[in-house]
This record gives sequence, structure tokens and C-alpha cells, in this order.
Amino acid sequence: MKELIKKLVETYGPSGNEDKIRQVIQEEIAGLADEVRTDALGNLIARKRGQNGGKRVMLAAHMDEIGVIVTHVDEKGFLRFGAVGGVWPHTLLGGRVVFANGTVGVIGTEKVEDEERNKVIPLEKLFIDVGAVDKTSVPVQIGDVAGFSRPFADMGKRLVAKAFDDRIGCAVLIQTMRDLKKTPHDVYFVFSVQEEVGLRGAMTSAYGIEPEMGLSVDVTLTGDTPEAQTMAVELGKGPAIKVKDGRMLAHPGVKRLLVETAEAIGIPYQLEVLERGTTDATAIQVSREGVPAGCVSIPCRYVHTPSEMVDYDDVTNAVKLLVAMLEKPIIL
Amino acid sequence: MDIVSLLKTLSETPGISGYEDQVRQVIGEVFARYADEVRTDALGNVIALKRGTGKAEPRRSIMLAGHTDEIGLIITRIEQGFLHFTEVGGFDPRVLLGQEVVVHGRRDLPGIIGSRPPHVLPPAEREKTIPLDKLFIDVGLPADEVEELVHVGDLATVRRELTQLKGDFIASKAFDDRAAVAAMAVCLEQLAGMQHAWDVYAVGTSQEEVGLRGAITSAFGLAPDLAIAIDVTFGNQPGLSAAETVEMNKGPAIVYGPNIHPALHDTLVETAKALELPYQVEPAPGRTGTDAWAIQVTRSGIPTALIGIPLRYMHTSVEMVSVKDVERVGRLLAAFIARLDAGFMDRLTWKPAISGEK
Repeated sequence: MKELIKKLVETYGPSGNEDKIRQVIQEEIAGLADEVRTDALGNLIARKRGQNGGKRVMLAAHMDEIGVIVTHVDEKGFLRFGAVGGVWPHTLLGGRVVFANGTVGVIGTEKVEDEERNKVIPLEKLFIDVGAVDKTSVPVQIGDVAGFSRPFADMGKRLVAKAFDDRIGCAVLIQTMRDLKKTPHDVYFVFSVQEEVGLRGAMTSAYGIEPEMGLSVDVTLTGDTPEAQTMAVELGKGPAIKVKDGRMLAHPGVKRLLVETAEAIGIPYQLEVLERGTTDATAIQVSREGVPAGCVSIPCRYVHTPSEMVDYDDVTNAVKLLVAMLEKPIIL
Repeated sequence: MDIVSLLKTLSETPGISGYEDQVRQVIGEVFARYADEVRTDALGNVIALKRGTGKAEPRRSIMLAGHTDEIGLIITRIEQGFLHFTEVGGFDPRVLLGQEVVVHGRRDLPGIIGSRPPHVLPPAEREKTIPLDKLFIDVGLPADEVEELVHVGDLATVRRELTQLKGDFIASKAFDDRAAVAAMAVCLEQLAGMQHAWDVYAVGTSQEEVGLRGAITSAFGLAPDLAIAIDVTFGNQPGLSAAETVEMNKGPAIVYGPNIHPALHDTLVETAKALELPYQVEPAPGRTGTDAWAIQVTRSGIPTALIGIPLRYMHTSVEMVSVKDVERVGRLLAAFIARLDAGFMDRLTWKPAISGEK
């Protein structure tokens, strides 16, 4: 799976600009579904038909990543920018970005006064340098969007990359499609857009699919690093089954189903209570008349930095969990 | 109806957002006494239908919404038998220290909320509210037994029995918004002895405290012609100005503002006057933070009103209401519903304004 993961995380695709990553995923899932379509918002929806009148199940992993958008180009060719999604200014200085056309930029800062040295440099003081000699030689323009640039690193058990949020979820969904040979359910694998700017792809795809159960597959924070937040989730202790996050309480029946499935197949799992942040499941849950919803989370350190870290065993166990859940009848 | 004993049962039954099962069961049984049908939907909304007598098909319908969920606590981490927790909904951290709780583990366990004693606190910290992550629940059991009985993600509710205060007042936990549920029960009971043309959906909504989530889906599913949300509002007390509050035991607060269809507001006021029922008008200049906010923009839009039940000490375990106010809200709702006739929606226009005094 690592090759697939590397390909997914290194592909460009900030929110609203998911064409390239959608193309990559579409190639990866060719032949694995009965129907594949792209909806009006750009969600990639693959349907695997069930045989025996099971449930209509929606699984969502978002393919968009956070990024930056050009707001101004000055006479010397420096770009000012704004955030697309929850960009953390701490992580920007010295970072590299890549635009859709391949243009590379580095992030620099205005002069930092002595008394400001211990503070986070706000976005307004930063700029992107694309190596242009003047305004006319800048190969991008206002409104163009860049993703962060950072190579995938395989540390063996642990993996590091930008955009594990949520390409690791996309990888889990693709591998689940590969491994799921037979299911009674009508399963919709949704590679959603615009999650980072407000769960917008999940909102519309859930409305269109009208699922009877919805699951997101996304990353969650951990409490296992020095002086971390109070949180029981750790890397390598198994996929996390969501109980609560910043905006959603998982359906108790969905949570139970996942716990029982994990116990039945003997994989490790953790229960997740996340105090901030949320996933596509939040939007799925309140679609139309309401959908029992939950989330399988991949524990991830340093979320929304260019060096997000996950544990490979958690990833493969998440696939096992989803496959096992989809092979059996679902009773909530 | 014995409103105090109903409120006692409603308030003392646990039902934290997303886990309203127990209180939903109680509410369903109460509503079923007066309704033609009671059902529960995918998000845990409990929906009672009392059919109207109107002949036109499809019959017009009104949705009443009062939320069933209460704020509570959820375990985030277990360390040496002590339970760290965070809130579900906006619990006031100032009132948690020293509370008794029930931890809903493999079985219910009594617990208490502890923190460091004042003697050892640095002076600067003594002056401040203790943040949630410095509080913990102690259930008194050895660590290994705790880990067996309690898991991360289990819930805890504050333990509190209803106190009958002097005068007309009672205090307990979760009157936000079980007082509204009681008012809906009063309304249904009243309607049992009245003629009403419209179908009435009394909805005990789920997950209001975490983002109006039950109201979003139940309003979508029911697609009513009109809706009235009932929720608690700030009653007068020391430290709050008259502009921020309504008065206790002076009747329902009929809310007015962009979240409210003006003609519905006016009709509620007219109804209160006709009943000679005391009422108050409460302005809400923006978001009301209630189910009304979600219902109003459901589908192609639903004319919505909001009635406030005056309440002191919101989001603590000693929320206080006037029993008479609860009863008045129920009567006002019933009388309003009885007024709804076949032509009501045609008169619900924006211009010219339907007359009515403010």
C-alpha cells in the first residue's frame, strides 16, 4: 500500500482544485466499482453494488488538502497570499509550495523586529517568492492556488508526508475497494472535495446518495507526544473509532458496530474523543432526514503541518476493519 | 397534569446530546397519551403526531420543537483510575468542582469531581476558574476495576434532584430544555379537549446543544408549514440588566427578530391577549441559538416562531423556572394551534403587515 500512499500524498489538490488528485484516484480505482461518476461539486463517487439487499452505505474520505491562494502580486514579483483551509502560520516560513502548473515558490518574511522574534509571524507578513525577476515573469496570477511541497518519507513502521489529512483516508478507501470481494451492501466510496473549507463535498454527495449509514475515514489528533493535549489516542494502537469530535457525536450504534467488528477480527482499536476539529461525517449525519454516522480515524501526529505522521499498521488495520464491516449485515 | 412531577422525571432522567435514549423513552410515553402516533427518527428525534380535523388534503401541519438533550461530560482519558473528561455542549466549568456525577460505564457508577485543594494552589490560580482539563472524576474504585468498568468515550451526568423552592419556583438540571418538553406535553393535553384543524407534530429534538442537529433533520423530514421552537431564555437576576433578561413568572417570552416570522409573532401576541395570559416580548436581533434558527432555513424556508421560557442559572445543575410559566407556554401553544384554519397560510403575508400591537 505504501506505493499508493506515496502517489496520493505527493499529488497536488488543495480545496476547490482537486482535478489532479481526482484523476490519480480515478485511475487507481479503475475496474473496482460498478459505477464511477463525478458530481457537480467535483466529488468522485464510486459505487459497488451489493447482492443481497443490504444497506446503502456511504464511506467518505476527502481528497482536498490545505493550501494557499495568491491575493496580490507586487511590482517585483512577490506574491501575497491567504489560507485555503486551516493553515497554521507556525509552519509556513521557509516552506515550499507548488502551483497547479508546477511553479514552485518559497515562503519568505518581511523583516522581523527583535521584540517580534518569539512570536508567530502572521500570514500578512509573509510572501511567496517564485524566483521571478519582476511582475511580468511571474508564471501564476491572483487567485491561483498552491499546495505545500514535501516528499513522502517511509520510516518503516511510521510514515511522514504532507496531506495525510486526508489522502491516507483516500488510500484506505482505495485499498478497501481492492480487498472487498463481496458485500451485501450498496457501497458508495466517496472521494470528497472541499472538506477543509467546510465539509462542502460531503454535504452535497450525501444529499445525492441518501445513505442509510455514513462513515468518514479521516485523521485524528493524538495525545502521545510531549506535553500534548489530554487525549487517549496513540500512534500504533490501532484505528480510532470516533465517539465525539468538535462538531459531531457519532451514532452509538455505528460506534458499537465498529467496536464489535474490530473485536471479532482481532485487530487493535482505540476510542476517540477529539475536542477540536471534525470530519465529513458531521455533514453526512444531518443530511436530509438524518443519517446514522460515524468515523474511522487514522491517528496522526502534527496534523495540518507539512510533516504529518501516521503508523502503517493503523492504516492497514483500518482497511481490515472496513472490509470486515462491509462483508457482514449491518444492524444498528 | 402534575407539571412538577413531570418536570422532576424529565429533568432527573439522563439524556446527554447524542445519547438521549432514556429521556426519549420517557418523553415518548408522555406524548403517546395524547398523540395519534409516536416515532423516533434516525437522529433520535422523538416525533409525536396529533392529527387535526381539517378536511383539505394534504392537511396543513405545524411543528413544535423542544430539545430533549442536556449538556454533560465525556471521558477523554483514564489515568490511574482517575477519569479526565471534557464537556458535551457548553457546561459552565465554574460549577463543576465538588459536584456529584453518575458515570455511565458498563454500569452506572457514582462519582465526584475533584481538583487540587485550595491550600496548595498558587495564589494566582486560586482566583481563577479551574479549567476542565485540571478537573477529574473519582469513582473510588481501584485503577484496574475502573479500567474494566469505564472506557474513553463513556458519559457522565451531574447528579441532581429537583428542588421545590418557595413560591412557584423549582430548580434542577436540564430544565434547558426539558421545561419545553413539559410545555409541549401541556399543549398536547390541552389540545385533546379542543378542536384543531391542523396536524400537530410535537418534536423532542436531539442534539440541540451540539449544533441544532436534530432540528435540522426533523424539520427536513416533516416539512411542516409552520414551526414554533420552545427554548429557555435568561430570567432576571442580579448581575444581568433588564435589557438582557425577561422576568420570571411573568409569562412566556414571545421572541421577535429576524429568526421569527413577524406575522407568527403577532398572532402569538394576539392569542396571549385573547387568553388574558401574561406574556413578554423578547427581542432577538440575530442568531437565536435555538432550534428555530435551523428550522427557519429548512428546505425552501419555514415560517418559524420562538417562545422562551424564563430561566435562571442556565447551563448549571440548578436551573430555575416558574412552574406557572411552563404551564402558560403550553396553553399559549394550544390556543395558537386551535386558531390555525384552512386559510391561515394565505393570510401569512409580508405586505401589508398583519396588524397587531407590540
